[in-house]
Amino acid sequence: MSRSLGDLLVFVGKRVLQLIPVLIGVVILTFFFTHLDLVGLCNEWYPHAGKTTLANCEATYSQPIVTQFFQYVSNLLHGNLGASISGVQVYSAIAADLPATVELVLAALFLMIFIGIPLGVIGAQYSGRWGDHLVRIFYLSGWATPTYLGAVIAAVFIGPWLGLPTHGEYSTLVPPFPQYTHMSVIDAIIALNLPYTVDAIDHLILPAAVLAFINMGIATRMTRASMLEVLPLDYVRSARMKGLSEFWVLYKHALRNALITTTTVLGITAGGLLAGTVVVEEVFDWPGIGQYAYTAIGGGSSTPNFDGAIAVVIVFAIAVVVANLIADILYGILDPRVDWR
Amino acid sequence: MVAVPSAPPPRRAESPLRVFWRVLRANPLSLFGFLLVAVICITALVVVVAPHLIVPYGAQQQTGPYNAPPSWKHPFGTDGLSYDVYSEVMLALPLDLSLGIAIAGVSLLIGGGLGLVAGFYDTPGTAAGVGSVSVMRLTDIFLSFPSLILALAITRALGVGVVNVAIAITITWWPYYVRLVRGEVLAVKHLPYVMASRAAGVREGRILLRHVLRNVLEPVVVYFTLDIGTVLVTYSTIGFIGVASKYPGPQPEWGAMLAFYQSSGSINVYPWLVLAPGAAIFVTVFAFSLLGDGLRDILDPRTRRAFVRSTSSHDPPPEAVSALPSAPDAGEGAPSPATAVGAVDARSAS
Amino acid sequence: MTDPVLEVDHLSITYTVGAGTFQAVSDVSLRLYPRRVVGIVGETGCGKSTLAQAIPRLLPEPPATIGGGRIIFRGTDLVKVPKRQLPMVRGTGIGMIFQEPLNSLNPAFRVFDQIAESIRIRHYRDMGWVKSFQGGSAPFDYSKPPPLPTVSETLSKPFLPSGAVGDAARERLQSRSDYREEVLQFLRLVRINDPEAILDRYPHELSGGMRQRIMIAMALSEKPSLLIADEPTSALDVTIQAQVLTLMKELIDEVDASILFISHDLGVIAETADEVGVMYAGRIVEYGPVAEVFQSPRHPYTKALLKAAPAHYKSDGPLSSIPGNVPNLSRPPSGCRFHPRCVLAQAVCKGEAPPLDPVDPAAAGDPFRVHRSACYFASEVPGLP
Repeated sequence: MSRSLGDLLVFVGKRVLQLIPVLIGVVILTFFFTHLDLVGLCNEWYPHAGKTTLANCEATYSQPIVTQFFQYVSNLLHGNLGASISGVQVYSAIAADLPATVELVLAALFLMIFIGIPLGVIGAQYSGRWGDHLVRIFYLSGWATPTYLGAVIAAVFIGPWLGLPTHGEYSTLVPPFPQYTHMSVIDAIIALNLPYTVDAIDHLILPAAVLAFINMGIATRMTRASMLEVLPLDYVRSARMKGLSEFWVLYKHALRNALITTTTVLGITAGGLLAGTVVVEEVFDWPGIGQYAYTAIGGGSSTPNFDGAIAVVIVFAIAVVVANLIADILYGILDPRVDWR
Repeated sequence: MVAVPSAPPPRRAESPLRVFWRVLRANPLSLFGFLLVAVICITALVVVVAPHLIVPYGAQQQTGPYNAPPSWKHPFGTDGLSYDVYSEVMLALPLDLSLGIAIAGVSLLIGGGLGLVAGFYDTPGTAAGVGSVSVMRLTDIFLSFPSLILALAITRALGVGVVNVAIAITITWWPYYVRLVRGEVLAVKHLPYVMASRAAGVREGRILLRHVLRNVLEPVVVYFTLDIGTVLVTYSTIGFIGVASKYPGPQPEWGAMLAFYQSSGSINVYPWLVLAPGAAIFVTVFAFSLLGDGLRDILDPRTRRAFVRSTSSHDPPPEAVSALPSAPDAGEGAPSPATAVGAVDARSAS
Repeated sequence: MTDPVLEVDHLSITYTVGAGTFQAVSDVSLRLYPRRVVGIVGETGCGKSTLAQAIPRLLPEPPATIGGGRIIFRGTDLVKVPKRQLPMVRGTGIGMIFQEPLNSLNPAFRVFDQIAESIRIRHYRDMGWVKSFQGGSAPFDYSKPPPLPTVSETLSKPFLPSGAVGDAARERLQSRSDYREEVLQFLRLVRINDPEAILDRYPHELSGGMRQRIMIAMALSEKPSLLIADEPTSALDVTIQAQVLTLMKELIDEVDASILFISHDLGVIAETADEVGVMYAGRIVEYGPVAEVFQSPRHPYTKALLKAAPAHYKSDGPLSSIPGNVPNLSRPPSGCRFHPRCVLAQAVCKGEAPPLDPVDPAAAGDPFRVHRSACYFASEVPGLP
């Protein structure tokens, strides 16, 4: 059984290598789909642009598509992701916005793990009885709530009712300390500024809660299903026979095995969380990539940003691929039957 | 020396419909979902065929009061253009519902077909094998995109409009079915009784149709039911972002309504504007999700017994199980639809 | 006459399945004396597994209900122990071995960790850190549960014990390396030759026989006085089966425990048990010293069971089986549950169920050491073909 540290590196390395063709495919596909309607492209994406911009646009996009593609890829490799119609560099905008979204997604993940998984355990414990039904209603409601509905209700009704802020990362536009990581809570902690830390957490709660509530369903359901498979097995009975309390039997012995299958849904959950950020960040005015994507696509009444949209699609896809990678590695670690070579 | 057991007691054969009914009744939530879905579908039908029965006003019909709160005359109030919100919501029901079913259905056909073929004819080295490998690679790449994002980009490229959005979503949706169906086919292909059929000389096509398809159908039905809701949510989200149909227009759509009301900035003062279409979406998707989730539990042979027992999660001893008539099983070792569907869930839209 | 380790009196267990109820175990009584092996034998579905799991109250209580009877272990009626205190009961005195070794060892943890866990629990109990269930001669008084400590008491207690108790605790609470010695000791007890090699292994890397031994070691590491073995060898090869059985018989004396051995395999029971109870449809139909019961059975079911088991060295004629089917326990037959399939059945058998009476009316002494049969026509059984 090879499960040493060196083996783990091989395991991870193999999977990272398998990523590369997928990433290439992602770039190709994104390019293909966004350049579908070349004729009307300039009109579609820049409906209010002036004549010169349109002329430039058409000049760029009337080249053969293969040339355009290679041009794009070489730009990509040089770190040039294009610019918006008003000249803002896509690369710098995304780099500035990314940490905020990472913070939001991590907070949502935290809530999903520490609320969603125990709910799945409870659902399995009381399977068929009222505890199970309540858990099911809870996570199905989250599933059934469109993100914008949840975000709008949280921002308009729940926020004021609970006294939680619903705009931005801090109460003031710029916090009085340098932002090293651009993640609101972490920056405030680094600056050892307690009031601002609390403030940052307050601002983080609602958007993270909305994201978590909506995407919790998959994790809860998967945990419940695997717990139901694990609970009748003999080793759970052995653990009870040892005299462990029910809590330890469930959370140490049973859950440890049930979680193995739950990690497989991590990738899909990541996709859902990222897609959710588009709307949640817009409603809560959270300065992340989601909001950037919203404006780039032309949501509401914003000016669309063609280069930005392409870049955002690629970034999101990369994030999902990375999440799947992490899920795969986690599975390999958690399941002792997996050989790392 | 082993004690030889005597023959097991004979089992009463029960028609699948009776089993379905009994199990549905044992799980009150699924039954509720089933009824709710039925009500919604019937309502949609009525709105299309005989709208005057339940929809008091036509689309874009000005009724007088502006921004009136809910009352008997206007159950969901009126909006800034004095349209009756209730009528607008009702008129949007057939569109949104049929969009959900259509998009999920087309994705099912395309993706399911590809998945069946890719799963069944995947012997390496043959032309079919190479084809199925490339299909799977393509599917993997597609699945790396969150559906919403890709659909948004495609919609932008194709242009605003109901049909374009539907096409965009379908393009992002079929890969999930490929993965689901192919996984099921692969699992079933190596089941002992399929191999036995092959050994007995049954033709490949017939095996495919009878055995494989039947087993595949169960998780696919569950997934499809859940998908109707998910697609609906995605469509309205795109509408909310403002890239689909515009509201107000001749054909209301829930997401577009929400976008319009939210941008008008008056929802603090007139909350019913936002809550009404939102609640309509929620109720519809919730109903389908209840039904789908319940179906999943019903169809999984392991948890099916949980509902026949309907009291606890622990298996009764063999004496208990043999005392009950058992519904026809797909055969031990078949992967449960719960785990198959769970691994492929496309809840990556919002 | 020594006191029994386990007394089961008129135990009945009902299952509520869906809309119906269902008598899994009816009126079963047992006595288990120190260093004895009592076997329970019967077909699948006769209720023996239910009985085995009910004794340490391992059955999930919502579908299963203990309808009546007593389970007296170390002077306390386990039936009356409230659910919340059940973890205290298990582990101090009762150990259990299951059928499928792969499933009874947690696949996610190494062998060392699993055995060390049991040892650690025992140490905590000895320290008094975890409430333990003290059996003993004074029965537990359920009307006066131990008083919960007040808040101030809890706060004033030091988190770690001090003084002599503390020293003893620190001495006992060994580091991982010290647990290692004790784990190895238990692994050697179950005759594993090279225990160091398997300490860091996962269950799926080991063979079935090895896993079974580890499970026995795990059960023994909490120093039980009662070991319940639920079909422990049914999933093993015959050769490994023999090894494990020999092991168990030797362990009884070394470890001073008694075994309640459940099996459907008559041969295994014949080899291992001192007394045997034959179960049918939730009832014990014959009970007594194993040699007597198997050589001169006094119940038609036992006789038929013995006849049905093929004798390997003979191949004359078709295998005999018992006509009819195992009864549906939600509507069991009236009176003697075997009467629909019994060659000796008469009208009286449909009336009241025959009591488990000694085969020899003149026999005196402890009924649980004497050959008994629940049949009105027990004397006619030897005459059957």
